[in-house]
Amino acid sequence: MVPANQVHDFHSPISPEGLYWVTPVPSDGIIFSENGKTVTLQMKDIPIIDQPRWPAMDAETTPAYLDFKLVFNSTEEPVKYEDPARQYRFEGFRAIAQLQASVRVPSIDFTFKTDPLEKSSCDFAVMGTEVNGKYYQS
Amino acid sequence: MQIDRAASCDFDRRRWLKLVSAFSAASFIPRTLLHAQTQQQMCAAEIPQHREPSNGGPCPYPIPWLDKNGNHNQPAAPNVELSSIYHFKGKLGRCSGFQGMGTDNKGNRLAWGTATTDYSYMAGEYWAARQAHQAVFAHT
Repeated sequence: MVPANQVHDFHSPISPEGLYWVTPVPSDGIIFSENGKTVTLQMKDIPIIDQPRWPAMDAETTPAYLDFKLVFNSTEEPVKYEDPARQYRFEGFRAIAQLQASVRVPSIDFTFKTDPLEKSSCDFAVMGTEVNGKYYQS
Repeated sequence: MQIDRAASCDFDRRRWLKLVSAFSAASFIPRTLLHAQTQQQMCAAEIPQHREPSNGGPCPYPIPWLDKNGNHNQPAAPNVELSSIYHFKGKLGRCSGFQGMGTDNKGNRLAWGTATTDYSYMAGEYWAARQAHQAVFAHT
């Protein structure tokens, strides 16, 4: 459900293969801590689109750019999600994830910067390992 | 290449008539059918012209099943597929339901985030074009 007061919706485009809002990460864009309990994903100048009327089929797009830093910190609570019929298995831990980001829409002279990382929160976060499809063995 | 002007005129006249006929016929073809044909051509696999192998594209492809909107976009939650990429093994982190505040370039304080504002990383191996690839992707 899109909130009635939503004025922007920033995401990557859908790929020709149908992959949703997925972008490649350069090798220096992700850092795993030595103990594996913290992961930092940080990228700059990602070409994205602003699509305020998403998910309408004719929702127009405007080119935009995204910088963000996302930090996952693992808790000690284990989770395992598996469905043999759908051939996936995720094993890991509940996590705390925080995000700071800034976006630019040059054509309308709009920029937006979130408050610092520590001020954000999310309802659901996990981190771990996943196998699916061809790699899945029950 | 030299072209005879008279022959060219004759050709042009005949070609013009053919084009008019073709246009008249085409105007009776439903627009949706023409659109579908164009899309099919865009999605058609390329025919190798120099005996190259035909193994598909190297890009990852999505989880096959669809969300309630008919999209290959699984909302993050417990007990659902969390990867965006099918035929994947590796490290994965996923989070959703972000909430926060921020400031635009006019000094306005704006809320950001919804229940479906989600991010992820997928770092490892995926299978495409009949071979394994190592890569890192993010859902943004």
